[in-house]
Amino acid sequence: MMRAMRNSWRLAAACLSAVGLVAAQTNRISFNHDIRPIMSDTCFRCHGPDKNSRMAGMRLDIREEAINPIRSGRIPIVPGDPEKSEIIERIFADGAKIMPPAYAHKTLTQKQKDTIRRWVSEGAVYEGHWAYQPLQRPAVPEAGEALPAKNPIDNFIQSRLKQDGIAASKESDKRTLLRRVTIDLTGLIPTPVELTAFLSDSSPDAYEKAVDRLLASPRYAEQRTMHWLDAVRYADTCGFHGDNILPAWPYRDYVLRSFLTNKPFDEFTREQIAGDLLPNATVEQRVASAYNRLNRTSAEGGLQPKEYLAKYGADRVRTLSAVWLGSTLGCAECHDHKFDPLLTKDFYAMKAFFADVQETGLVPDRGSKAWGAQLALPNEEQKRTLTTLDDKLAVAKARLNEGAAKLPASEQQWEEDVKRRWQAGELAWTWQQPMAAEALHGARLTIYNREPVESNYYLSGSLKTDKKPGEGLVVASGPNPDNETYVITLKPGAGTWNQLGIDVVQDESLPGARYARGADRFLLSEVEAEVSEPSAASRKIKFSLATVNDSPPGPSSTTDPSMPPLGAIDGDPKTAWGVQFGEARDPFLAIRFTEAVTTTPRSTVIVTLRHESELRKAVIGRLRLALAADPFAWPPIADASKRARGNDATGAKTWASGLPEDVMKALRRPADDRDDREQTAVRDYMTWSSPALAADNIELQRLETERGLLEAAIPHVVTTVSVDPGVTRILPRANWMDASQPIVEPAIPRFLGVLDTKGERATRLDLANWLVSHNNPLTARAFVNRTWREFFGTGLSKTLDDLGSQGEWPTHPELLDWLASEFMHPEFQAASARDWDVKHIIRLIVTSHTYRQSSIPDPASSEKDPENRLLAHQNRFRVDAENVRDIALEVSGLLAQEFGGPSVNPVEPPGYLAALNFPKREYSASHGPDLYRRGLYTTWQRTYLHPSLLNFDAPTREECAVNRSVSNTPLQALDLLNDPIYVEAARVFAQEAIKDGGKTFDARLDWVFDRALSRRAIPEERSILRGLFERDLKSFTADPAAAHDLLSEGEATLSNDRDPSLLAAMTTVTRAVLNLHELDTRN
Amino acid sequence: MMDNLVRTATRRAFLGRASAGVGLAALNSLLNPSPLGAAQVANQGSKGAVNPLDFAPKAKRVIYLYQAGGPSHLETFDYKPKLAEMTGKPMPESFTQGQQIAQLQGQKLICLGPTHGFRRFGQSGQMICELFPQVGGIVDECSIVRSMWTEQINHDPAHTFMNSGSIITGRPSMGSWVLYGLGAETDNLPGFVVLVSAGKGGQMQPIAARQWSAGILPSKFQGVRFNSVGDAVLYIKNPRGVTNDMQRDSIQAINALNELEYKSLRDPEIQTRIAQYEMAFQMQASVPGLLDVSKEPSHVMEMYGAKPGDGSFASNCLLARRLAERGVRFIQLYHRDWDHHNDVKNNMVFKAEEVDKPTAALIADLKQHGMLDDTLVIWGGEFGRTPMSQGGSGRDHHIRGFSFLLAGGGIKKGLAYGATDDLGYAAVEKPVSVHDFHATMMALLGVDVAKLAVKYQGLDVRLTGPEGGRIVHDLIA
Repeated sequence: MMRAMRNSWRLAAACLSAVGLVAAQTNRISFNHDIRPIMSDTCFRCHGPDKNSRMAGMRLDIREEAINPIRSGRIPIVPGDPEKSEIIERIFADGAKIMPPAYAHKTLTQKQKDTIRRWVSEGAVYEGHWAYQPLQRPAVPEAGEALPAKNPIDNFIQSRLKQDGIAASKESDKRTLLRRVTIDLTGLIPTPVELTAFLSDSSPDAYEKAVDRLLASPRYAEQRTMHWLDAVRYADTCGFHGDNILPAWPYRDYVLRSFLTNKPFDEFTREQIAGDLLPNATVEQRVASAYNRLNRTSAEGGLQPKEYLAKYGADRVRTLSAVWLGSTLGCAECHDHKFDPLLTKDFYAMKAFFADVQETGLVPDRGSKAWGAQLALPNEEQKRTLTTLDDKLAVAKARLNEGAAKLPASEQQWEEDVKRRWQAGELAWTWQQPMAAEALHGARLTIYNREPVESNYYLSGSLKTDKKPGEGLVVASGPNPDNETYVITLKPGAGTWNQLGIDVVQDESLPGARYARGADRFLLSEVEAEVSEPSAASRKIKFSLATVNDSPPGPSSTTDPSMPPLGAIDGDPKTAWGVQFGEARDPFLAIRFTEAVTTTPRSTVIVTLRHESELRKAVIGRLRLALAADPFAWPPIADASKRARGNDATGAKTWASGLPEDVMKALRRPADDRDDREQTAVRDYMTWSSPALAADNIELQRLETERGLLEAAIPHVVTTVSVDPGVTRILPRANWMDASQPIVEPAIPRFLGVLDTKGERATRLDLANWLVSHNNPLTARAFVNRTWREFFGTGLSKTLDDLGSQGEWPTHPELLDWLASEFMHPEFQAASARDWDVKHIIRLIVTSHTYRQSSIPDPASSEKDPENRLLAHQNRFRVDAENVRDIALEVSGLLAQEFGGPSVNPVEPPGYLAALNFPKREYSASHGPDLYRRGLYTTWQRTYLHPSLLNFDAPTREECAVNRSVSNTPLQALDLLNDPIYVEAARVFAQEAIKDGGKTFDARLDWVFDRALSRRAIPEERSILRGLFERDLKSFTADPAAAHDLLSEGEATLSNDRDPSLLAAMTTVTRAVLNLHELDTRN
Repeated sequence: MMDNLVRTATRRAFLGRASAGVGLAALNSLLNPSPLGAAQVANQGSKGAVNPLDFAPKAKRVIYLYQAGGPSHLETFDYKPKLAEMTGKPMPESFTQGQQIAQLQGQKLICLGPTHGFRRFGQSGQMICELFPQVGGIVDECSIVRSMWTEQINHDPAHTFMNSGSIITGRPSMGSWVLYGLGAETDNLPGFVVLVSAGKGGQMQPIAARQWSAGILPSKFQGVRFNSVGDAVLYIKNPRGVTNDMQRDSIQAINALNELEYKSLRDPEIQTRIAQYEMAFQMQASVPGLLDVSKEPSHVMEMYGAKPGDGSFASNCLLARRLAERGVRFIQLYHRDWDHHNDVKNNMVFKAEEVDKPTAALIADLKQHGMLDDTLVIWGGEFGRTPMSQGGSGRDHHIRGFSFLLAGGGIKKGLAYGATDDLGYAAVEKPVSVHDFHATMMALLGVDVAKLAVKYQGLDVRLTGPEGGRIVHDLIA
């Protein structure tokens, strides 16, 4: 249907279908060509494979059943005798007896009825459905006379055209040809240099050489990967509920490498479905097995695991059957298939292959158990460093333990001392009421000391709002730059201090996990402090350690190793302390000074908080500062509502007592009454707070931080781990709560055969081996059909995901089978090809004359074949969503060339993720070249796919998608006109044109056209664009501020040595060119 | 200024360069890009795939006030005095045995009575929670369905099921089906508009864009979300530094260049592209006017409780009326935060404050504008909440019974339809499934949902799935 959309004008002109054309050529009625499509659509629903919905006991899809009497004694089909056949009587009946019945909303045309009658009178000969027949290499027919056949594809196409008296078209001109094949193979357009080289190469195999050059390019691998990722529903987020980022991109890189090295498709198949089960599985093969884990998963609280395991399993069956079998086995989840011989039992037997995949129904999206089984992928250097660090850590731990063992035996005295100091407030934190607070990059900071301030927060699942004096709360508002630095001045009064505390205050008004003014977390990259007296120079305060309140007392003090507390005091702006998920209300960072700082009543302490991380707007929205006299005062509990209240040493009220909760609890009762947890807490805190062990604690924490950061930097990927297979039952109507039905063992659909596993339970590896064996006719057919679509716009059967009864009969079944045979085992140009050779099939297609034909239709052939299904010429269609962007970036010179790597975040409109939660978040765009990567590398956020990809019909990949629609909508026009990336591309394109294109407008326009359209402008085009340029030059000269505004879009370097009005006016010219239909149409 | 631009940039100006015949063909392929549509090229009156309509339509458009998160029927429209008596007592096992529950699985099930009072409202004397007095004031315009039930118990799939009749991703949402079936009455705005607001008082559950996806239908039928932050419609604003005059000039240049390409290739797809640029420009011109509520009388603003640009449910209700006036076919307002696992009592107060007044105002306002008769207004969420307490003060997700409020567009007035059992657990009297609800909604729009199908993977895909839905004739006036 989607494909037809593009050709709707042709449909409007004539209604002949290719199937109709075939029928007109044949003398005898053919079951497969003529009868099956009718019966499948109108009869099989009630008289087909599904026994539960079968009416009158009549089954028409199998001859043996159809020619025997049914319950009523009537015979549905009497071969050779339509008058005695029940079905003929019924389809020609009137009123209540008519078949199909009125309620089915299916009506047979007179012609269809006549066809069925004729078929019965000719003996009612059945044929097996084409796609399920064993694959046999068809003989290559004679080609047409007029045009050269480059390879057997042309023989099939041209002989078929000849039957209808349609002539194939001539080869396209060289410019069009190179653009076409470059787009199809790489998703990009040829550079002017490539085009010139091709045009000047007059050798007979100039085109074949160009094809080989393109097939060898990493860009080819990227383009193939883009299509494959749709099929295997690859995405970077989990797709349900919080839709958080899952570690998947190394799998994408595996696919990239596989296409780059032209990995045989059988191996490619085996590695993805069962890479983990291969003998001595390599890391690469285990990465490939991430395929089984790319389904959507949920971490929604309250989900029933069994229900979701059923969903995950069903997804795997749907994906596998669409991608490898071209079948809709998913239909059989609830009932036997209505049209194809697929039973519910087959569905669950297929699902059972995956019952060994280790997984949980609720797949955690955070914390140490996040995403289930993962594979770490350290490089050699990372491996070495890890080993070194582990050795050092062992030493440091041993030293600390040794030290701890030597601590005074009398815990009692220590306890009494701590208790006394705690109750006297000596350990407490003293909250500060700042004198001044300033943001250096534009934000507004407001201090609320005595002043009331509104707070919105959740308490026990319920939103509370209150308005109370701020008690030192600093609140950011106003402008919200990507990076921000706060400078806060305190006047602590006379005292001696050993720690600075930063209390990050959560509020519902904050979009970044309720902590930050953007992003999905806050990241405090650096803290600095200095103390000064009115008359003296200020002194920098040096820090020795940082601790947070989300862990038990001890040196390891953070839950997310990528954002450790020490990140805020290590002088490295790349590392930061941060918190992502919103559960840790009011996290508190305690920073210990290297030496005590004494203040007088006149001293000021200036605290600088830098947010310089790459994540944009990960800037704290609300905070308080505190000081502690004791170097070992523990940061107060994260949940502000549970903090212990008391007085600090100055007598002021505080709600930060300076002891861990468990220690406080323990100290309140006799040692004998304490539980293990409390005992451990006391012991740990004693070790931690012992001045004698301070250096050892610091060393241990430093090493653990370093190791955590390294661990976080190592790429991870979800992977398949095989465990004892769970029980797989048939679920009646997919009801996961119904355990009444039998258990099934793994098996392929019964009608396709039986796996011989010598009595052992069949595994995913058995399944994979069968998929790519000669016993399975479907994998190769489905693959070549899908591949064909990428080079002609429509598959040989246009229903790429359904080669079954309800799918479209292929226009060229013999060609499809020939290609499938050639794919499995090449015989044509076999010397240079292997079995399952993807590049071989693609090379055959793109070097065929059929592919190379002109795309301009001949009126006579359009009349006979309005949809061009017989391929008398090439087709024209818009490039895929990612390529729309790729091409604009390429011609403007912005495109980053990097191959593979973590997914990136191109610019996206603000607020687009506002309806997401867990965590609440705002999008944060990447930096530098990562803003200009190919669309393929864009973070694939399933529930909110990047809007420009969505606008141009990219699938969300929540579900397997083997076909894309191609629409043409006003939202696309708005996107190309106004999306900042296209404005930036136009500006950079114009800069380049002015720099490299010559001195005059005409010369620059030539340069622009060469680069974007591989041709020169015709006089009318030149005059339209010159007019636009001159009018806009006038406007921008009159309003330089407007020119400045236009040119300041985007982060790419702006050339400043040019006349801004000229550049702005040239930008409107390049912007027009980037909006041309010709630019993103593959011709 | 903008008005002037719209006049100068009319369709004629854009398509005038082409021969009239081609322009019309392009326009038709634009409105009817499917093969089904193509067959209708001859019928100039057709706007959608269903032509002629299957039934005489009662409603022309839908405004769906989607209360996301699962509002408690027990604190809105379903009065259960027996449940109040049972508060603190175990839920009788006869009600719950073998049933699917969410976070309460494996826990002791204790009854929690209605946390707010109910009283009678209007001539019809409908029992409504007293937190909703304004809705009570217009309840004689409405029918209350107290016997809704659904199949999906977690938010994400439950939304998907409520919107598309299936949990399989890729099925078109109901708004897309309506737009596909009936076409749009405006070219200047999207035919299916989505607005999302958030408020206080519950776990702010996410809503995926899948809920308004066109799925397997062409993407022109997808819902277009209007944003309260940034551009109302994505990419609707000119680039900075580009005036409307310059934008028009650029679009005219682009279209003139595309026209040249068309002349040499005669590919009608180019004509479609030209028409899309024209529509894009008209959208750019129309959206600011739509959003500019400064000309709304102050009493109207007060009636809704709307403050311009605050993105609240109240403001969205007002926008919904303005969208309806401008010919938008399906307007869906999501209001989040109804997920009251804790403290349903206090959280309901927040929600009632946010939705009571605007809901009533919208219905009254539509009536004043003479639009209520042909606008179907729907109020409801993806499921209801348990009569059992969660954590003593909250309620868990519940699929066996919940309530919908319906008004206008051919719905009976003052009717109470169906009922749950005494404890508000299961819909026992005249249960209405999600498919039944869809079938009824489509019937009011003149469409037999059983006939509206698109072939995909060999199946006739329908909004009501393979099982189909039953039209609830008793709800129809």
